Amino acid sequence: MRILSSSLQLARLLQLASPALPVGAYTYSQGLEWAVESGVIRDEASAGCWIADLLAHGIGRYEAPLLVALMAAWTGGNRSEIARLNGEFLASRESAELRAETVQMGFSLHRLVRDLRDPALADVEATLAGLGEIAFPTGWAGIAAAWQIVPEAALTAYLWAWAENQVMAALKAVPLGQASGQRLLAELGGRIPAVAAAALTLPESQWSNFTPAFAIACARHETQYSRLFRS
Amino acid sequence: MDRLPDSSSPACPVAAPTWHAELHLGFAHRAGRTVLRENRHRGPLRVQKALYPEGDGVCQALLLHPPSGIAGGDHLAIDIAVDDNSHAQITTPGAGKWYRSGGAAASQTVTLNVAAGATLEWLPQESIVFDGAIARMDTHVTLAADSRYLGWDILCLGRAAAGERFDHGRFDLHCRIERAGKPLWIERGSVAGGDAMLHSPAGWAGATVCGTLLCSFPELPQQAAALLEALRTLTPGDGARHGITAPPGLLIARYLGDNSEAARLWFAELWKILRPACCGRPAVLPRIWNT
Repeated sequence: MRILSSSLQLARLLQLASPALPVGAYTYSQGLEWAVESGVIRDEASAGCWIADLLAHGIGRYEAPLLVALMAAWTGGNRSEIARLNGEFLASRESAELRAETVQMGFSLHRLVRDLRDPALADVEATLAGLGEIAFPTGWAGIAAAWQIVPEAALTAYLWAWAENQVMAALKAVPLGQASGQRLLAELGGRIPAVAAAALTLPESQWSNFTPAFAIACARHETQYSRLFRS
Repeated sequence: MDRLPDSSSPACPVAAPTWHAELHLGFAHRAGRTVLRENRHRGPLRVQKALYPEGDGVCQALLLHPPSGIAGGDHLAIDIAVDDNSHAQITTPGAGKWYRSGGAAASQTVTLNVAAGATLEWLPQESIVFDGAIARMDTHVTLAADSRYLGWDILCLGRAAAGERFDHGRFDLHCRIERAGKPLWIERGSVAGGDAMLHSPAGWAGATVCGTLLCSFPELPQQAAALLEALRTLTPGDGARHGITAPPGLLIARYLGDNSEAARLWFAELWKILRPACCGRPAVLPRIWNT
């Protein structure tokens, strides 16, 4: 295996975490649009609170440690563990839209792996092809591991991409201005290192996806009368 | 019924003797009737008799826990097997209580195995986690490819009526349903008393009662859209936050508010619609719910 230089790893990571990644992330708000509709989010401060709380208590304590476990499984070539974690993530999705979201994004990521024609991704392609429904973090962790990105950096970028997508959704749905968006991103970005550090060592017995108001917001979004987003 | 007197240490409610209680139930289908083929217990956890409030087809069991609550150091294991083609309905006569712990953790492990063609209704009353409790709740449901499950759990944090909040202690919760060897539903929580998540608008939003109803049966994918439409016309009587959704193979209803009775009444209304679809039977309300 060719060892990638650190600057090439960074370039690869920026590509993987970019909103230009053709997986359609920008079409999903993950319940944020319902939080706006129901008045929980009404301005910059309440949007920041919602997203920061999900970072700390939602994605940070389930998807984040799961991504770390997935990267370890990909790095170790442990296909049964990859399949197990993929199944766990799919079953942990709180609503029909959230589950459909990760399956659609996982499908798009699998297609991207083929379209990249990178020999380093051949094993990832073959493993993903054997999974059936692919959860987004499963595919993403596979590419990150194949591109030799260290878990801490990969997780930081993954959380950043999620936060950026949430802030962009808030900009459209509330709506908020670009300056508000940048303030929110600076604030959220400052919180990511601690969330990532905790997730790197959180044992599976302490993973937590128990955020019922978020789950209800995602379920209610399904019948929201007027909506811009698919979740 | 009181806890047994403690012979080894002075009387103290938080250092009472601990229980390692087990209950093993087995239901089987014999000549058109669901029978309670196994009813074995150790410690104060039992089912007194098999009940047939709606004829031979459904066996109802009332799960009794005489000490009425779970104290630090107690470990309860409930293991229920519903054999091929049988139909069991489990409920409880009163709220489960998790008492304040003096330091030791308490646990309850519920293992529900529903075999081919079998049906299980798991309809307990609410669980109240007292401030200072250290509780671990595990519920593992194993379904065959064609088994049917309709169950709920209502979790109350602190004795809200007495103004108590869940500010100390912790609870760990792990609920999972597997169908044909694949995970269908996973919810896990690891929450310390006073956890910021409990007040977060995305977490518990300051509420004290969280209820989750889960339903899965083989024909659900074809019926989900019509069921969702019917179920969504019903709302909790207290106006609490609620939502209903149906990812593939599963229907989920959630309540988040402050009134466990409103949660249970709403779930019972949903159950009236779901039971004919899931179990092929009209909804006959268990009499114990009226008391």
